[in-house]
Amino acid sequence: MTDHKVRQRHGIQVMEPPDSVQNAPILDEKKTIGHTKKYTKKRIVSNSALAILTLLSFITRFWKIDYPHQVVFDEVHFGKFASYYLKRTYYFDVHPPLAKLMLAGIGWFLGYDGHFEFDNIGDDYITNGVPYIGLRSLPAALGALLVPLTYMIMIESGYPVITAILAAGLVLFDNALICQTRLILLDSMLVFFMLCTFYCYIRFYKYRLREFSNEWWFWMIASGVTLGLTLSVKLVGLFTVLTIGIAVIVDLWNLLDIKRGLTMDHFKKHFYARAIGLIIVPIFVYLFWFYLHFAILNTSGPGDSFMSPAFQETLQGNVMSLESLEIRFNDTITLKHKSTSVFLHSHPQRYPLRYNDGRISSQGQQVTGYKFEDANNYWLIKPAKIFMDPSRPEDDFVKHGDYILLEHINTETHLLTHDVASPLMPTNQEFTTMPKDDDSRYNETVFQVLIDDGDSDTKWKTKSSYIRLIHFDTKVALWTHDKLLPEWAFKQQEINGNKNNVEKSNIWIADQIVGKNVTKPLTPEPPKRHLPFFAKFFELQRLMLSHNSGLTKPHPYSSTPVNWPFLVRGISFWTNNNDREQIYLLGNPFTWWISVGAMAVLVGVLLADLISRRRAIHPISEPVRNRLLNSGLFFFMAWFIHYAPFYLMGRSLFLHHYLPALICSYMVAAVVFNFMFVDSVNYPISVTGPRKAPRIVAKAVVKDITVITCTILLAISACVFYYFSPLTYGTPGIEPEGIRSRMWLDSWDLHFQPKRHDA
Amino acid sequence: MDYKLNNEDYEVILNPVRYSTSIVSLGDIRYRKKRFKEPDSPSRHDLPEDDLLMYDTKENGGKSITKFFTGISTSDVYNLLGLIVVSIIVRLYRLDHPNSVVFDEMHFETLALKYIRGNFFIDMHPPLAKLLIALPGYLSRYDGILDLENESEFFESKYPYVTMRLISGILGIFIIPFSYLTIKLSGFSTNAAFLVSALLIFENALVTQSRLILLDSPLMASTAFTMLIWVKFHNEKKRPFKTWWWIWLIMTGVGLGLTVSIKWVGFFTTIFIGLLTIKDLWDLLGDLHLPLIRWVNHFLARVLCLLVIPVILYMLVFAIHFSILENSGDDAISMSPEFRHTLNGHGMNDTPIDVGYGSTITLRHFNTRGGYLHSHNHHYPSGSKQQQVTLYPFKDENNLWIIQKETDPKIPFETINPSWIYHNTLIRLSHVLTEGWLHSHNIKPPVTNSDDQNEVSVYGSKDHSDTNDLWRVEIVDHEKSDSDSGRRLRAIHTKFRLFHINSGCYLYSHSNKLPEWGFKQQEVTCGKGATFINTIWYIETNSHPKLPSDTKMVNYKKLGFFEKFIELNQVMWTNFKSISLHPYLSHPSSWILLKRGIGFWAQEHYQIYLIGNPFIWWTSTLTVLIFVIEKLNTILKAKRGYIDRFSVKGEHVKLWSNVFLMGWCLHYLPFYLMSKELFLQYYFPSLYFAILLIGIGFDLITERFNSRNRTIIVTIFLIASIYIFILFSPLTYGNTWEKSSCDNSKWLSSWDYDCDLYVGSHLTRNTNTTGIEITNQEFSDIRAFDKRAAETEDEQDEQM
Repeated sequence: MTDHKVRQRHGIQVMEPPDSVQNAPILDEKKTIGHTKKYTKKRIVSNSALAILTLLSFITRFWKIDYPHQVVFDEVHFGKFASYYLKRTYYFDVHPPLAKLMLAGIGWFLGYDGHFEFDNIGDDYITNGVPYIGLRSLPAALGALLVPLTYMIMIESGYPVITAILAAGLVLFDNALICQTRLILLDSMLVFFMLCTFYCYIRFYKYRLREFSNEWWFWMIASGVTLGLTLSVKLVGLFTVLTIGIAVIVDLWNLLDIKRGLTMDHFKKHFYARAIGLIIVPIFVYLFWFYLHFAILNTSGPGDSFMSPAFQETLQGNVMSLESLEIRFNDTITLKHKSTSVFLHSHPQRYPLRYNDGRISSQGQQVTGYKFEDANNYWLIKPAKIFMDPSRPEDDFVKHGDYILLEHINTETHLLTHDVASPLMPTNQEFTTMPKDDDSRYNETVFQVLIDDGDSDTKWKTKSSYIRLIHFDTKVALWTHDKLLPEWAFKQQEINGNKNNVEKSNIWIADQIVGKNVTKPLTPEPPKRHLPFFAKFFELQRLMLSHNSGLTKPHPYSSTPVNWPFLVRGISFWTNNNDREQIYLLGNPFTWWISVGAMAVLVGVLLADLISRRRAIHPISEPVRNRLLNSGLFFFMAWFIHYAPFYLMGRSLFLHHYLPALICSYMVAAVVFNFMFVDSVNYPISVTGPRKAPRIVAKAVVKDITVITCTILLAISACVFYYFSPLTYGTPGIEPEGIRSRMWLDSWDLHFQPKRHDA
Repeated sequence: MDYKLNNEDYEVILNPVRYSTSIVSLGDIRYRKKRFKEPDSPSRHDLPEDDLLMYDTKENGGKSITKFFTGISTSDVYNLLGLIVVSIIVRLYRLDHPNSVVFDEMHFETLALKYIRGNFFIDMHPPLAKLLIALPGYLSRYDGILDLENESEFFESKYPYVTMRLISGILGIFIIPFSYLTIKLSGFSTNAAFLVSALLIFENALVTQSRLILLDSPLMASTAFTMLIWVKFHNEKKRPFKTWWWIWLIMTGVGLGLTVSIKWVGFFTTIFIGLLTIKDLWDLLGDLHLPLIRWVNHFLARVLCLLVIPVILYMLVFAIHFSILENSGDDAISMSPEFRHTLNGHGMNDTPIDVGYGSTITLRHFNTRGGYLHSHNHHYPSGSKQQQVTLYPFKDENNLWIIQKETDPKIPFETINPSWIYHNTLIRLSHVLTEGWLHSHNIKPPVTNSDDQNEVSVYGSKDHSDTNDLWRVEIVDHEKSDSDSGRRLRAIHTKFRLFHINSGCYLYSHSNKLPEWGFKQQEVTCGKGATFINTIWYIETNSHPKLPSDTKMVNYKKLGFFEKFIELNQVMWTNFKSISLHPYLSHPSSWILLKRGIGFWAQEHYQIYLIGNPFIWWTSTLTVLIFVIEKLNTILKAKRGYIDRFSVKGEHVKLWSNVFLMGWCLHYLPFYLMSKELFLQYYFPSLYFAILLIGIGFDLITERFNSRNRTIIVTIFLIASIYIFILFSPLTYGNTWEKSSCDNSKWLSSWDYDCDLYVGSHLTRNTNTTGIEITNQEFSDIRAFDKRAAETEDEQDEQM
């Protein structure tokens, strides 16, 4: 990415480049014969570097990919999910489906039928007949492609070959990337699509002088598609969306500038083009994978219980449609609260006259929530006759909107609520009961049944209908919460009337009809119901989000974001006690630490530049500064956006969440390297516009010292990589002394480390 | 009026152009005044403070002590006095009503009582405001027993609750003059200043809040104070490093320190002032006429006053806090043993340092403050059904264990001299009272359901022990000054893990509590992949019959002030983050629209319900909205090349509206990021800034009006506000009300105060529903019953 300022200067102001920079005003570089040779030679160098890097990359990723032939770490989950696709049984996961669909696709090509459950880390693949090498080779191949992609991004951003080699080399020798991408996990797809997005967007941006040309459109749509793919792998793809979004906003803001001379109509055209390419297209891509997801998973499976009853009924052979019964008036039922799973319960004991805080109760019969099956949970549904259409038969089905009375069978009383504060919450209404032959407070015993998503024809069914019971007189909803009543109510749960009657926690389910059983058909029935795609989609999105933030269960290897860039701790993926082998997710400490250092340098340089410019000192030449600000800052922003939001997340986090940010930090490292060791920059790099004004072309000067430094850096990286590679590939085993010498930080809790004080 | 500007001290006046973007340019005002002699020439006191200084400079040679008061005239003083008198009446009216605890008052009352008694406690707010509140009680030497179990408990007549409320009320009144001066000194009209402070007087929510013993009115007072002083400092901008510049800068720092010491959300004020300061420094940096060294001076002065002073002040408040709370209290349990050791009543006797076979020890868990490894004669209800092992926070006979040898558990150590326990040796731990052994096996623990955890129990008898009782000592850390403790077990100094060799797991505990059957004590398990820090233990007390009498003794390190300060703040932070549910929680987005209030208190026919004056509240929100739109519009227009011809006045309005808008944003938006429970009160500092903005908005709209019309507008606006204030005042003061007018006042259905308790309701609540009259006798019976129930619960807790 370059800056518009360069363009503005064409023909207006000729910069005085340093002596060492070759520059010549030419019309079109390709037509000048003297340059053609150099150009092709350069191209050969560049392409062969690319080829070598790609080759090395595939070697490092596919080295001993068959080892270990056991389930490693999160392969437990993602392998399992791929199996579910092949068996077409419904499952639930917090991540969008694309990556798992890809894995399932590979499995399908290899003829794998999804019989293996991936239950435990360490389960054997060979004895279970799983084509795990094939499954692993997909992420490994995408992981290997990260290296050439990094290289191409740097070349497209206008950096010399040597800088691009450095960036790609850092990616090549990173143990964490290798370790994470050669297993059946989602991160290699995520990072791959993320880099693709960056690549496409940079290509698009380079066509900015040929706005609305075919190439311009092509690369923009391509960025949109890859953006959608990134998002379809994991929801953290949203960070990539944010990165590109900010870049687009900055770009549009510059276009809006009156000095650009764009009319408002022209600007709107730009705006709508981007809205289509970078918002609408990704949304469609994202929707498509979910469409496929629902289309494939049509059978009942382990994910059923996460979904709403309506959703479950769309699945073949699900419990909901098999075991649910329609409820009629004068049936006796038990009512279960959905979120706390207690039954609506009552017993002859009464509320105490006065509570500890001095408030007074009605002293009526207690109504509580009780966890266990009990005859006191039985309630008889009676129609509230005044509100009923008299033509309806005595044992008609109960429908949405019907008014009912609930009779407690054992005490022969009617459920009632009134405007008296409940025992624990002064804001909510007390529930009690009235003798059934006492009609004096009839209105206060009437409740309306509202079925979720119901209309007047929806029948109330056990298990599958979510209902709210709204009190006729005061409009409160029957509600309960986790708080327990004191001893006088046997520590059962409090039931009260919630004034906020639309709250989600008001939902109850009729658990069973007493005395009626379901006759189970033995063959799985076809789904009873069809839901529109969007209803399913939005339900699943809501669940994914809420479950994602609910993943707070501490894990022995979870870590906090502040530790990641400094590689304070890794994750133990797999161990083999016999040969002292282990796979431990740990980055290449050398490359991680230099990339963190590089980012500090970048920030320091930019701040120093900002401050000195404030004092009218311009220490960095304009083209170099623009490159640093645009491309350097873009990569830095990408790093920041893929990293900082994790601080705000409540869920448990792992080192591998840092990998997308890590790749960005390697590119920042290369930019800083370029700033330090390469004079000037290649510019301009944008594709020439239709208006062929004479352009000043400058080339970066690569000196010997540059090459030497790069070689040294990469050589050290390679050595460190090799040194730590047993932990990455899980083989060969290391002796305790070897482990000890590899424990550069005490916090790397490797297995098989020698016990301290052994000597 | 002679404006000859030749005083060399005022460098800005020599370079008016440089400063013209960020401050009111003096020169331009002069021109404006000269060119357009407006019919309604504002009084000289309507000018920004600096113009006045020009008068003063001329009249007093610039050395006037009245500088402190510049910007306000005699009429301002009268206005201020009037406003203060009105606000005293409005805010202190019937301060003793109700004579029972309202809302969170209970909390602060209890804390005040703890100050009086010197009992240590932990609260999630820093201590300054609480110290202030406790002061009357402290002075009156009140030490009666106040049982504030619940809200309906009546205050004992001697308890100085009115004085306490008075402190909060007076601090609440402070914002009235502060706001007046802020508007006035930032160069807006008297009318605007009057309007703003009058609106603040008649804001129901602010009145409600300041009448009660709560922390929000001290917080608002200090925020308003800081803002005012910063305005004063800003007005001194052109005379850097002069006396008054220093005074205001230091006072700003003091204001920041006070704000943060009252509540942590006061940190938003620090961020606000910090950003304003950064902007200032950035402007100064761009001034090429300013030598760099002088800029560095500017920078250091701000670091000193705005960073160092607040920090010192904050620590000072804690130093006072510690010096008062020197006795132990209920909350001390959450502090580290080292910390507790510094409190009276928690001291521990020195213990012999050397631990050997046969030593009777207590084992303490290092990371959680759950306490000692404990066992008692109760069994697990599931799993192995063997005897429970837990962590128990208090000293108890059941915490005692004897270290026995791996080989023969029966060696009578009473008669043999102790031999030391080195790293990697195997031991058995015998529970003294029940004579079983610390035991673990391949059975899942009762509560934590995890594959890598095993149950830990006490099993076996005096003579019967198996290999599942063997634990290996692994020393992981030790006191650096005591190298022996790195090689062998020593009390307190050695931190070690206990490795269960048969199942390969470490003795582990975490903050999960056991259910009723385990008396809510902390769970102890044996973990394989357990977090390292939670597997560390150390020996707190130690005794051995055969140790020589002159054996070396050891005790916890004495903590210095800094260590105590840091530890307490860490614990406060953990408490601060914890979330509890409350029926009146609300989301920040509902605050700006005043969707719902908070029910503070209700009894018989009275209630107090925190709700703002909707008229003022919604006007303030609208003002903020209009200013935001105006700012965005300006930015966009500038980008498209429309040049806004700002008058000098416009420039001035732009500066201060930016400042107040920023104040509003920074005191409001951060709440969206907080996953804490949030209440309507948290919006008050933002409300303050929004009401200040009303003042600017008023000046902007009425710019071209004459002074009579301006006064009329102010009057109409105020009458409307006062009318609505009175309308809602029964909720503010807890007065009686008609049910019908209560029902009519519910402009939003989400305002959930209870109209049924007022006279005129068909349903008189609480007393009549059952038709039972309670006699005093019955009442005391109920109380006795409750008490018995509570005692039985206590007894159960004690049955270990």
